[in-house]
Amino acid sequence: MKKVKALVLTGYGLNCDYETDYALKIAGAESHRIHINELIKGETIGHQEFLKGYHLLVFDGGFSWGDDHGAGVLLASRFKFNLGAQIEEFIAEGKLIVGICNGFQALVNLGLLPGFDGSYKSREVALTFNDSGNFRDDWVYLKTLHSPCVFAKGIKTIELPIRHGEGKFFAPQEVIEKLFADHHVVFQYATPEGKKARGKFPYNPNGSLRDIAGICDTTGHVLGLMPHPEGYNHFTNHPDWTRKKEDLKRQGLPLPEEGLGIKIFRNGVRYLEKKLL
Amino acid sequence: MVAKIEIALKPELFDAEGASLKAQAQDYFGIAVDSVRLINIISLDAEFTATQLEEIRTRIFTNPVIHISGLDALPIEFDWAVWVGFRPGVRDTAASTAREAIEDLLKITFKEGEACYTSKLFCIRGKGLDEGKVNLIVRESLANDLIQQWKIFEKGEHDARKNIGLTVPKVNLSHTPTVKAFSIDSDEELMRISDARNLALNPRDVPTIREYFLREEVRNERREVGLDLPTDIELEYIAQARSDHCNHNTFKGLFRYKDLSTGKETVVDNLFKTCIEEPTLDIQKKKPWVVSVLWDNAGVGRFDDLHYYTITGETHNSPSNMEAYGGSITGIVGVYRDPLGTGLGSKLILGMYGYCVAPRDYQGELKPRLHPRRLLDGVITGVKDGGNKSGVPTPFGHLFFHESYLGKCLVFVTALGIMPSSIQGKPSEVKTTTPGELIIMTGGRVGKDGIHGVTAASEGFSEHTPAGHVQIGDPYTQKKMHDFLLEARDEGLIAFITDNGGGGLSSSIGESARFSNGCEVYLDKVPLKYAGLDQWEIWISESQERMTVAVTPEHEKRFMELSRKHDVESTVIGKYTNTGKIHILYNGKTCAYINTELLKSDFPQWEFDAEWMPPESRGLCEPVITEPEDHASLLKDILSRPNLASKEWVIRQYDHEVQGGSVIKPLVGKERDVTSDAVVVRPLLGSYRGLAATQALNPTYSQIDTYHMIGCTIDEAVRRLIAVGAKLDDIGGVDNFCWPTIQYHPVSNPDGKLKAAQLVRANWALKDYCRSFNIPLLSGKDSMYIDGNLKGRYGENRKISGLPTIQFTATAVIDDIRKCVTMDVKIPGDVVYILGVTRDELGGSEYYDRFGCIGLNAPHVNTEDVIPLYRALSAAIQEQLVASAHGIYRGGLGVHLALVAMAGCLGLTIDLSAVPVEEYLSNDRLLYSETQGRFLVTIAPENKEKFEAVLKGGRFAAIGEVTEEPRLKINGVKGKRTPIDVDIAELKHAWKKTFGALR
Repeated sequence: MKKVKALVLTGYGLNCDYETDYALKIAGAESHRIHINELIKGETIGHQEFLKGYHLLVFDGGFSWGDDHGAGVLLASRFKFNLGAQIEEFIAEGKLIVGICNGFQALVNLGLLPGFDGSYKSREVALTFNDSGNFRDDWVYLKTLHSPCVFAKGIKTIELPIRHGEGKFFAPQEVIEKLFADHHVVFQYATPEGKKARGKFPYNPNGSLRDIAGICDTTGHVLGLMPHPEGYNHFTNHPDWTRKKEDLKRQGLPLPEEGLGIKIFRNGVRYLEKKLL
Repeated sequence: MVAKIEIALKPELFDAEGASLKAQAQDYFGIAVDSVRLINIISLDAEFTATQLEEIRTRIFTNPVIHISGLDALPIEFDWAVWVGFRPGVRDTAASTAREAIEDLLKITFKEGEACYTSKLFCIRGKGLDEGKVNLIVRESLANDLIQQWKIFEKGEHDARKNIGLTVPKVNLSHTPTVKAFSIDSDEELMRISDARNLALNPRDVPTIREYFLREEVRNERREVGLDLPTDIELEYIAQARSDHCNHNTFKGLFRYKDLSTGKETVVDNLFKTCIEEPTLDIQKKKPWVVSVLWDNAGVGRFDDLHYYTITGETHNSPSNMEAYGGSITGIVGVYRDPLGTGLGSKLILGMYGYCVAPRDYQGELKPRLHPRRLLDGVITGVKDGGNKSGVPTPFGHLFFHESYLGKCLVFVTALGIMPSSIQGKPSEVKTTTPGELIIMTGGRVGKDGIHGVTAASEGFSEHTPAGHVQIGDPYTQKKMHDFLLEARDEGLIAFITDNGGGGLSSSIGESARFSNGCEVYLDKVPLKYAGLDQWEIWISESQERMTVAVTPEHEKRFMELSRKHDVESTVIGKYTNTGKIHILYNGKTCAYINTELLKSDFPQWEFDAEWMPPESRGLCEPVITEPEDHASLLKDILSRPNLASKEWVIRQYDHEVQGGSVIKPLVGKERDVTSDAVVVRPLLGSYRGLAATQALNPTYSQIDTYHMIGCTIDEAVRRLIAVGAKLDDIGGVDNFCWPTIQYHPVSNPDGKLKAAQLVRANWALKDYCRSFNIPLLSGKDSMYIDGNLKGRYGENRKISGLPTIQFTATAVIDDIRKCVTMDVKIPGDVVYILGVTRDELGGSEYYDRFGCIGLNAPHVNTEDVIPLYRALSAAIQEQLVASAHGIYRGGLGVHLALVAMAGCLGLTIDLSAVPVEEYLSNDRLLYSETQGRFLVTIAPENKEKFEAVLKGGRFAAIGEVTEEPRLKINGVKGKRTPIDVDIAELKHAWKKTFGALR
């Protein structure tokens, strides 16, 4: 059977490439870890056709170029200066892009998100320093809003890990309003009960305006989010799994296998299978 | 001409960095500041047109959503402004990435000498500020004169403000590299050279060195290559290779040990050989999973049929003590090169940390270079940046406070990696160099970094001399190199690999050339950060982020191709030979020519007098304290003591989940906030195998007897692993010694003989406990000289020696991660068991420390008693009978009952009279004794019979029950009255409040 081909970026300080590649494989894709320079040179299968061979492009997490000039800024400029047109073509062909954590930061700096009204050129929103002034690793509760995002289909709430120092979602008031009005907001930080975090730490871990954790473009084909779905690739990634295990054991039930973060990738892969294969 | 770009957040945005400076000014110095806004400055020392500058500003460095920026001074008001930039030669990673981005945008290449620099300007507002206060904030919090320079302006100093960022810290040495030769007519003359050049040669080594250079055949050979008298590069090389750091002369020394209480004398020849090497090699014979130990950069153990794991631990005490951030980031990034340079190279999968510092709120009269609070902030941040940016999870660590670390802090860093067991059909743990192979240096460039370490710190600075002795690790450059080398490894391009750490090229090439028996090195080929380094400096510089790789000539092309793909600099700088000579040339002229034999030959052994005084003879005894009446307040106070209180603020700054294989996290429980016994990761996604890792450190017991300090520390590390589901037979250890100076001197080290005896006893314990637990020492390091001379109130200097300390790291492969357990109690109605006997062992305990006492009865570990119990508990966990398991460590039973309850957010009802003892113990002793070998375990009531059957023969007892009502209720032994009945939330509050405000 033909498989959806996914490209996971590596190099220059990105560091979630192995687990993102793994998550995509579980989700049913044929995934490859490709160095940014290899993509730019297109050296493996000859020039400009390189990116064309893929259906799903993942800007995974890490510290690209050390993130010293604002997270994701130099990754974005590397793409803009070398691959700008190709990326827009990729979107125009109905293919999918996900940016996770550092990748999300790169997508907003590239202007691919929020991509108001189908324009992918200008920076409208930013991800900046957490209000705490520090990096934070924790798990968060997310609730999903109604949006065209193909990755969030069938997900109402989900728990995922966050690991960042610059995850505060910021935009001018009118942009925020437009994001909500036009259904760009995919994930919001929430309380364990599934209510809005309303800025409350640690549920909203970084001070993001209106608890925004992830947004998509107008088509729903480009998604960016701060939490790491690939970090929840197995049941045992969850911070409470030993507690759940004890409950299940006493009810005589088996342990689940997969982590719920895989759902997000599988949604993307399934969509592409139907649409492009 | 220098141009600059100034960038700041828009005024309506929250400036987190500015806000944290404001908070620090208030919290640390009581100085009220209204606001701080930060301006980032990029200085461009290169020719650009106005249009180009505008492009650079807008297209790269300004985000229109959040930034304001300009090519001139930004109109941000201040009462005081502080500019902080680097000293010349200090690693400025942000500047090099800025340059990369500019080159990419404009499709240009910076010319020779052109460069970028970054700096920061803090615009501070506050009515009550004056120059003194601002200076205090800068010196004590913002900047360190070892690596940074700063300027302070007052409101109104417009010209000075305007010109900020227009002068740059460019290194300009204007020095022609020269090789000097020295006559060594007498031992005294060579010693004088050693003193003058800070070579720190041991006087005992001097005759051996002279004899070599004066030998007729040596002189003849040297004349043939144009050398005669020893050169500076040769003497520097020998000094490096013979240093205690590289050669472990202390551990290989001869100790005359005398027990002053019995008069019995024992001669101990070589602690390393007798207490570390021999036991480990014996144990290796019994354990096929121990693959490679004691020679490579890290130890190697089997992970599964196709993979090995690698592990090592290091310390970075002295540099961290000088420049906390730089020292610790260099430490963590540096230790990551060890697994990378082990076998044919392994991928980094896990890092750990340990900090020993003086109390954060120290207010005594001694003046350390950095206040403990600032030092701690710095080391925590260094490991954060170094670890997180390396893409390696940092899930475990510890933080220990003791005033003795005021003299020198301890910074432990540990690294684990994984590699395939074979690469292109060849075993990955084996490596060698062969004549004809190329010597390739890869990664960073060479500057005056780390040359003669600390001695350089006392020399004066000038405007353009590089402040190289204190380094700042660069995880970004190293991460690129790491990714590159793994790809080169998998293609079979690497014949040999090792890292450039202490001693730089001299050590990495010197040691790798022993395999082929010789090398030729062309120092002029080594890429430099700036011109003007002498040959000897290039050879011994400790510039970071470099590896030395042996590559056969036919693989050179592909190796270089991959290097370019990953944007990593690699250079052929020589070749391996079998001439028996380390032959170093510069522009074709020989500057060093040394027999490879010389450094293998027998230098005289170091010697130490060791005199042991048992603790009783030093006046230690048990304190007289009656049983307290207010047990609840006592427990809360003990929980809030810095060494036991929650360290969540440190743990959450570290990415502990990157790589996607996190199984047991550092913080567990219902609210995910209580510290786990150990961590478990799944390094190969898709496999159920895991790797458990943990660390233990118990220096307070050293005050009584280092023998028992070691016993307790190893036992604690073992129990930590058993508690999460590891098995004793799979455990490997790493020993990291940190010891005060042991060489006796009547004036400067009058208690040196005792410290030497403490070291001998610690090693004896290491040997005894490793042998009885059958734990191979996969790796280890020793760091001596943890002393400091601090200025006191009256201008006197006082020597402070750190407690003799060992950090013991333990790791074990987990067959099936799904069987792991955590320490939090889980379900009401579960039975609470204690495993092991509780004895009157409060010597060195947290409880005694609360009353300012040391005591005498340090915990003793009897492995014959505890091993069967550990095996039984492992079996019960494997049978999935256990709902929670937790070791009882520092603080004792009371503290650890509180922790498991707090983690589960459930209550416990406990009956102290059920706790197994050997003799009557009062409630306070039962609650706070630190007897080792004990666990708390909860199980479902229906598993009671099975569980007790598995444990049959061991000492254990059911002591209570998990309750829905979240209260800790402890019934005491005396007349069954209730010494404790307290809300779990109240306990948690006490435990968290100490550092609760930190983030």
